[in-house]
Amino acid sequence: MKSTCVAALVAASGLFSASIPLLAHHSFAAEYDSTQPITLKGTVKELKWQNPHAYVFVDVKDESGKTVTWALETLSPNALARQGWNRDSLKRGDAVTVEAYKAKDPRPLPDGSLHGNGRSFALADGKRVFAGAAEDGGPDSATARGK
Amino acid sequence: MKRYYGWVMAALAVAVLLPLAPMNISAQAGPAKGGGKAGDKAKDTLTPTGPTPRTPDGKVDFNGVYAPANFANYGAAFPLQPWAKKIFDDRRAGLSKDDPEGYCLPAGVPRISPFPEKFVQTKDLFVILDEGNVHSYRQIFLDGRGHGKGLDQLWMGHSIGKWEGNDTLVVDSVGFNDKTWLNGQGAPHSDKLHVTEKYTRPDLGHVNVEITIDDPGALTAPHTFTRSFLLRPDWELLEYVCNEFNIDSDRLVGK
Repeated sequence: MKSTCVAALVAASGLFSASIPLLAHHSFAAEYDSTQPITLKGTVKELKWQNPHAYVFVDVKDESGKTVTWALETLSPNALARQGWNRDSLKRGDAVTVEAYKAKDPRPLPDGSLHGNGRSFALADGKRVFAGAAEDGGPDSATARGK
Repeated sequence: MKRYYGWVMAALAVAVLLPLAPMNISAQAGPAKGGGKAGDKAKDTLTPTGPTPRTPDGKVDFNGVYAPANFANYGAAFPLQPWAKKIFDDRRAGLSKDDPEGYCLPAGVPRISPFPEKFVQTKDLFVILDEGNVHSYRQIFLDGRGHGKGLDQLWMGHSIGKWEGNDTLVVDSVGFNDKTWLNGQGAPHSDKLHVTEKYTRPDLGHVNVEITIDDPGALTAPHTFTRSFLLRPDWELLEYVCNEFNIDSDRLVGK
């Protein structure tokens, strides 16, 4: 019984923490395509803890078996820090499943990485890192930006 | 019965916690462990309660770090003149791709960022430090000076304040450029923008600001709305250096 209750609490807490609003300094819709959700399975290459958005670089094998790198925008370090995350929350080599959206601009970043917006990064143990509803008008936002 | 007890408790747990899920208050990007929906008094565990703090001379003491409570819900219905409405519509159609904030430019007044603000109050000066945007700041002079001349085309305007009794600080701001947006949706303003803010602190945890925007260059009538801030006694302002790696400005394509 207890375990059922605890499991439900954990599940509900997961929903709760998953919906803590995240922040962005630009309109989601201006840069990312909410009709292009993608799920990426790969390994963390690097976490760049930088402004105005931290970026997670994830190596993913494409259909042909070739490894491509996705550069996934997340929140700003100050917003992430207030939610309890830090620059060690994702480490190089971590296996992650990322819920993301493609950038509307198809150009890769200068380093050749494909560009997207990462909404959550699930580790192998199920822990979701940087997960949340960004306050940027994105598809999982609680409110549209700047109302 | 026992068999179902766990599920009943589980359902109760979900029922209690689920309403917390659709949080819509951006500024409460507080640690998840803090719990509670900061804008909802019934569940707000982050905002302290207590009487209004006052300075030795009896005036309200606004000092503190605050999270904006209704960042996403302010001033939605600005009464725009036709030319301003057209610009607004164009910006909506462009999905706010040209928002100055996306280019790490100042948000202007009275727009705020979703990040916390710090109020620093002395007898002659009230300073608002904004963690977000470009770490912008506002100096509100309380020393009796006027606006003076030659103030035009400022991003954050020129602000002077005076007390109405001991409870209300009235801030008057002019001298703006016309480059900032009134909100993230793109409501424009002219350089005739005149902003009046009335700051009150009804209790320890809350600051309310009644904001009146008067802009004969862009609005058909003055527009008044209220914004609230929630005290965050355990927070400090954190760094946010918008221009460090702002690749977005080159990739905000809109449609």
